[in-house]
Amino acid sequence: MADPDFQGQALQHLDALYNFAMYLTKRPPDADDLVQETYLRAFRFSHRFQPGTHLRAWLFQILRNTFLTFYRVREREAAVAEDGVPDWDPPMFHDAPEDDGATMEAHTDLERAMRRLPEEFRTVLLLAEVEGLPLEEVARVMVCPVGTVKSRIFRAKERLRGLLRDYETK
Amino acid sequence: MSERFDDTSDEMLGRRLAGELPRHTAPARLRVSIVDAATPRSRRPAWLMPMLTAAATAMVLVLAVMPVLPRIVPADPVQRYVRAVVSEHSRAIMWGARHGEVLPTALPWLTQESGISLNRVFVGDERLTFVAAEPVYLERQRGVAIHYKDSDGHMISYVALPAVGLTVPDRERVQIERWRPALLRDSGFASWVWKQGDVGCFLVSDMVSTDDIERFKEYFVRIRVATEPVPAY
Repeated sequence: MADPDFQGQALQHLDALYNFAMYLTKRPPDADDLVQETYLRAFRFSHRFQPGTHLRAWLFQILRNTFLTFYRVREREAAVAEDGVPDWDPPMFHDAPEDDGATMEAHTDLERAMRRLPEEFRTVLLLAEVEGLPLEEVARVMVCPVGTVKSRIFRAKERLRGLLRDYETK
Repeated sequence: MSERFDDTSDEMLGRRLAGELPRHTAPARLRVSIVDAATPRSRRPAWLMPMLTAAATAMVLVLAVMPVLPRIVPADPVQRYVRAVVSEHSRAIMWGARHGEVLPTALPWLTQESGISLNRVFVGDERLTFVAAEPVYLERQRGVAIHYKDSDGHMISYVALPAVGLTVPDRERVQIERWRPALLRDSGFASWVWKQGDVGCFLVSDMVSTDDIERFKEYFVRIRVATEPVPAY
């Protein structure tokens, strides 16, 4: 396990990670589990962290990878129909479904629209606009080129504007 | 809100996200549970390892000196014989005969090695199958052991040893036809003990239940009638 100094530094980013986890999972218990698993992994593999690099970005990367590895799989498993045929769509750039009753209530149109964005768009906006990470760090978290990050931010905002307009007209 | 978005630029939208999107704060218990989960579990008590080491050392010492420790040997010579014969029978069950030989081919060799001459010997019938014969050394005496197996898989060992001073205990004697062997039990085995001249004869089996003893009596008769051991020298 990691030394106490590293643990202390990592735990300074707890709120940011939890916020990110909430927007990914949409459920507080899942967010709790995801954040806890993220920290345990970070502590276990703390020797792989390169001092001098952005600890927060590294933690975001672990959290997102954990989410994609476990929570996405769980969502897909839950979505498999009784006949064994999965009934989900490929996740890339498809809008998330409307929240069901089990998810936390969205208080604003902006929050509701964010939750409906595909994960790739949600993540890029949360990291770049909400958390203020430099584009290079966002690219590292999402394991893609910086140009792709810029493109996703642009498209994510377009999608977000569209959703907000829909809410206005309704 | 619509008028706010009609002319919202990317920059404005970014500022709205940073300023208006609700932030979720981690519950206090989450921090506690993370710290708890990351803390190594309590180590073994300090006294445990020395205790285990001492126990292991003691066990090794006991195993090392066990062969030279005084053994509880029955004072009764008959019981001593029976115990030795039962041990030999157990060994034969576990590992088979050391020098399993076929009768009657090996009789001369057996006589030479065991000091027991078998004028007549039971070589098996429809109930008991001969397995092997071999010389043995029990209670500081050379003797002969013959192993049989019945149709139910019971192993029966016949052992003949020189036993000049051996007295068959009267209290354990059982009348079987015209003979009165003693029935002794040891370590979960039953043994018929009798003497033919100066030779002590033992018939051992794991047949200990009431029904089995009745069958064991029949086996005794078959072997007793057909076997005649005498000291060879």
